Amino acid sequence: MRTRLRWLSVSALELWLPVALLLAWWFASRHSTSAYFPPLRYILDGFRLDWLSANGAHNLRPSLTVLVAGFGLAVIVGVAVGAVLGLNRTVERATRPLLELTRAVPGVALLPVFIVLIGIGTDMKILLVASGAVWPVLLNTTDGVRSTEPLLVDMAVAYGMGRWRRLRSIILPAAAPQIFAGARTALAISVIIMVVSETVGAQGGIGYFLLAAQRSFQITDMWGTIIALGVLGYLLNLLFRLTEAVVLRWHRLYQARLSAPRR
Amino acid sequence: MTDSAVGGPPGTASPVAALATMPGDQRPAAAGGGNRTGAARRFTAMTGVQLAVIAVAVAIWWYISDVASAGSVPSPARTLSELAALLGTSVLWTAVGQTATTWLIGIAVCAAVGIPGGLLIGASHFATDSTRLTIDFVRNIPPVALVPLGLLLWGPTRSMVLLLVISGTIWPIVIQSIYAARQSEPQLRDVARVFQLGRRWWLTHIFLPGVTPFVMTGLRVAATICLLLTITGELFGGAPGVGTQIQSAQVGNDNPQMYAYVIMAALLGLLVNTLIWIAQRRLLGWHPSFRKRA
Repeated sequence: MRTRLRWLSVSALELWLPVALLLAWWFASRHSTSAYFPPLRYILDGFRLDWLSANGAHNLRPSLTVLVAGFGLAVIVGVAVGAVLGLNRTVERATRPLLELTRAVPGVALLPVFIVLIGIGTDMKILLVASGAVWPVLLNTTDGVRSTEPLLVDMAVAYGMGRWRRLRSIILPAAAPQIFAGARTALAISVIIMVVSETVGAQGGIGYFLLAAQRSFQITDMWGTIIALGVLGYLLNLLFRLTEAVVLRWHRLYQARLSAPRR
Repeated sequence: MTDSAVGGPPGTASPVAALATMPGDQRPAAAGGGNRTGAARRFTAMTGVQLAVIAVAVAIWWYISDVASAGSVPSPARTLSELAALLGTSVLWTAVGQTATTWLIGIAVCAAVGIPGGLLIGASHFATDSTRLTIDFVRNIPPVALVPLGLLLWGPTRSMVLLLVISGTIWPIVIQSIYAARQSEPQLRDVARVFQLGRRWWLTHIFLPGVTPFVMTGLRVAATICLLLTITGELFGGAPGVGTQIQSAQVGNDNPQMYAYVIMAALLGLLVNTLIWIAQRRLLGWHPSFRKRA
């Protein structure tokens, strides 16, 4: 009973501000006649029609394909290359200037280059997302792998653990919290590049819809798409956090045990 | 705010790990001055290898430009001569100036609003809990979603780019600042009180040094995002700057020029990374994660 009350008061504390902001928007825009800021009621209607419908699913599918494939590719390549660089100090130092130079290219700036090289298909979009999102994963993996507690690694060697086994059961788990932090930044970058990449080639997708709405002055559709992107971003982040909570459960428990005696 | 994407200051791993990660080939130099020539020789050898790696990358680029369908990839020589020619024109420097100015305004506004805002929110439990859900939702809205709104309100101008830039750049700073204020050690405040150190002394000698590492991490992440969004706004929305030049070179089928501008964008990125690194070393020279590099 008491825990439930406590839970209620915590949610009330977290919820009052968003609710107040939404109400403020609703009432402030109720009689709005400004073309750019339509009443929230119309925006929500448009959102329902455009995105919570078969039409919405049709527009979401290409976006999610690009996002999931591009982000997935970035994580796989980032962890693989990052692990190699983290384990091998010489290789890391030899390639550092080249990596710094490549990393400095803002992902979106490569869009025109990729169009010329690969075309305007889905492949290009996936590769563009991956090429921009790979860096935070790669750098964090390198860092995480390099700062693995050396005692653990030495012990694994002493127990005759093979190289591969050591990487899989000691080094990568130790680096996992940092890899996740990098992947989270990568996810945010992926969404940005996904939206921008969809403005070329008329194959649908959220970015295409957003630009089309603005160009044809469908202001409520535009606002609806902004809300859809917000919801998508929030849900992706939630999904990511759930995955992280499951995968890194051991880490949280370990941290809690470390800090427990101090209290 | 335990869910910060960026976490603590760089290398907050255990001190043991920090020591262990000290590069093996720097140990002689760190241990004493006696081995300087050996260290210096190793340094030049490594520089040679690093240059060789870059040379190999350029060679691969050359090879690709040779086999790629005519003109789609200009050779490194062609690109560099184009870049050299552009360096003499005012078009390039105007574009670079516009992009750099937008970046600077963006990061300055975000720091000026985000750092005090985040610290104030973090200083109060009530404010932290109340804003958690709102911040979590708003910062997950992809900033590019606001480009059409900016275009409608202001057209392809700097204001439009700044709307995009600020809406995306401010969050890492705010979140790290909230985190920093939460982490500030209550024992230190008690110690300061016991020794009757004034509030002002506490602020400048204990509170600010304590929060700086966290805030700097936020700023570092924000600086990169800020440049990405500046170029995105220019490329996507057509506001003047390096991004637009890349776009118009592509539309005009001028591939060497497009590559030259992409290289210019990369150089800007490199400049931003270097500036942040220098600022971090200046402000955080005392911090364990930087001391080891000294």
